[in-house]
Amino acid sequence: MIEVKDLRKDYVDAEEVTSALRGVSFTINKGDFVSIMGPSGSGKSTLVQILSFLDRPTGGSYTFLGEKTDGMTDAELAHIRNKSIGFVFQSFNLLTRLTVYENVEIPLIYSDVAPSARKKLIEDAVRSVGLDEKLYVETAKLSGGQKQRIAIARALVNDPDIIFADEPTGNLDSVSGAQVMSILDGLNHSGRTVILVTHETATAEFADRIIRLRDGAIESDEAVKNPRHSKEQFFK
Amino acid sequence: MRVNDLVKSSRATLKHGKMRSLLTMLGIVIGISSVIILMSIGASAQDYILGQVQGLGSNLIIVIPGGSNNGKFSSPAAAQGIIITSLKQRDVDALGRDPSVAAVTEESRGQGAASFGDNSETITFDGVPANFFTVRNFVVAKGYPFSDADVQSYNHVAVIGSSLADTLFGAGSDPVGQYIQVKNVHFRVVGVLESKGTGAFGIDQDNIVLVPITVGQKQMLGTDYFTDVMVQANDTYTIDFAKARVQTILEQDHSITDSNKDDFTIETQQDVLSLLGNITNILTLFLAAIASISLIVGGIGIMNIMLVSVIERTKEIGLRKSVGATNNDILQQFLVESVMLTVIGGVIGILVGGLVVGAAWLVITKVFAVVWTFEFPMSAILLAVAVSSITGIAFGIYPAQQAARKSPIEALRYE
Repeated sequence: MIEVKDLRKDYVDAEEVTSALRGVSFTINKGDFVSIMGPSGSGKSTLVQILSFLDRPTGGSYTFLGEKTDGMTDAELAHIRNKSIGFVFQSFNLLTRLTVYENVEIPLIYSDVAPSARKKLIEDAVRSVGLDEKLYVETAKLSGGQKQRIAIARALVNDPDIIFADEPTGNLDSVSGAQVMSILDGLNHSGRTVILVTHETATAEFADRIIRLRDGAIESDEAVKNPRHSKEQFFK
Repeated sequence: MRVNDLVKSSRATLKHGKMRSLLTMLGIVIGISSVIILMSIGASAQDYILGQVQGLGSNLIIVIPGGSNNGKFSSPAAAQGIIITSLKQRDVDALGRDPSVAAVTEESRGQGAASFGDNSETITFDGVPANFFTVRNFVVAKGYPFSDADVQSYNHVAVIGSSLADTLFGAGSDPVGQYIQVKNVHFRVVGVLESKGTGAFGIDQDNIVLVPITVGQKQMLGTDYFTDVMVQANDTYTIDFAKARVQTILEQDHSITDSNKDDFTIETQQDVLSLLGNITNILTLFLAAIASISLIVGGIGIMNIMLVSVIERTKEIGLRKSVGATNNDILQQFLVESVMLTVIGGVIGILVGGLVVGAAWLVITKVFAVVWTFEFPMSAILLAVAVSSITGIAFGIYPAQQAARKSPIEALRYE
């Protein structure tokens, strides 16, 4: 599903070149649940931004769903982000002036789904995170945990192949964090690929595999012996 | 992105910042309403001015003493303070004999004081023949017009304008049969004219004294020439043919062989209407152009606010791009917002303009009792909508491009 070879990312600032990724290679298969870990500055966020087509690499190759992505236009990348990828951000990134319904609707607007067909998709997505009673509430009025669940519903509404979650529990209390991880785990069990960026071991161990980065390179790439699969296990 | 999504999204954004949206629109509202008001008043003024010329009478050919400026119409010599004596009685007689001419009415005009008792007013007195009333559409509301016999007999009779009647005798009184003095000559008032307003050459036709041409020209002015001659063309001939005949007759009468050296100017009503129409159109456009400067100021205001909005909503742009919005989607969204601002501003401007024009019409017709048409030209409305849309696009495109060019990751990182 995802294959990166010798992936590099250099930031050029005046005369200085900073390498955020120094030749990263790995493969992620359909249905995998992979955590990417590492200390600050290790390149984990840069890696996930490139994998999710929010940014472009400066070297190496990236094959997504069997297609080389190197020469793709901005519009083609936008299409992939819309159809094949769902995002869950640490800071939720909801438009607080809009209702839950309107926030979850945003990806559908850009995928040209007819307004008449949207309602069911939105209701299903919001129901899947257990917040169907909040459908017409402004997101500004929701708790942090509820906001993140709505962000997951937004990520799901276009039925993507892969979910990218960047520190999804970073702004949440432990109970809400456990709920969110439980939802992501459930999504993985229903066949979706989940890529999680985190610095918390308890969160990372919901995955089957952990890729650890240090200074822009892979330090380790190991399977998790006993992945956590429930909210209760989040607190162990 | 579908059009209804664009509109819905833009509407929600504008509604979210109602006060900001209203203040941003204000410049456009002022600009559009100014254009509407000036174009509308310009059209009404044009109607009024053209109406005055049409009120001269029908099928009229105007002969003014003095040559024209290279064949172009120029202001009458009398208006420039020049006395030209080229139009005489023999011209009037010669014109009257031509079959293409239905009637000829000549005028000898002067200024003086008209008084009755202690009341006095500076007026224009006009020596005219008896047919003047019918040829020039001067309707006598009270009494009767003087006759050919009055003209031939040098009778001191006068028909006075309606506002002069009010000034000298008081509103609502009947001056017919009373005696007034004009330049120390006594006249018996035989009629009062229907209100006619200001006429051609800026003469207040309600503040006028019409006297027999014989009295006006010979006794009061002591001249043998006319201020102007109006020729009414015979219906069976075209006005252009009649105009050509008038020119030929006068040239023969004045022994002129080169048309460029004519000592008179001939204009038809259509010539004057066309000239005045052009002048008023240019004036209206000029005023509208001045008013449109405020539209540019309003447009810059919109661009300013949209640029601020792009910065404020950087994270939103990042989010929208992360879930699939293309550069074009973002560009369209911000562009539609600015166009919506200007178009809504334009519609409010049209309504405000309409209200002001309506109020002006009420004041002009009711308070100043001037015959004024309510003109709300469709061209002004179409222009306002077009200009406001173009303003929205022109001043919205730069902020929209700034928004569209943002990289999704940089936009998401923006704090």
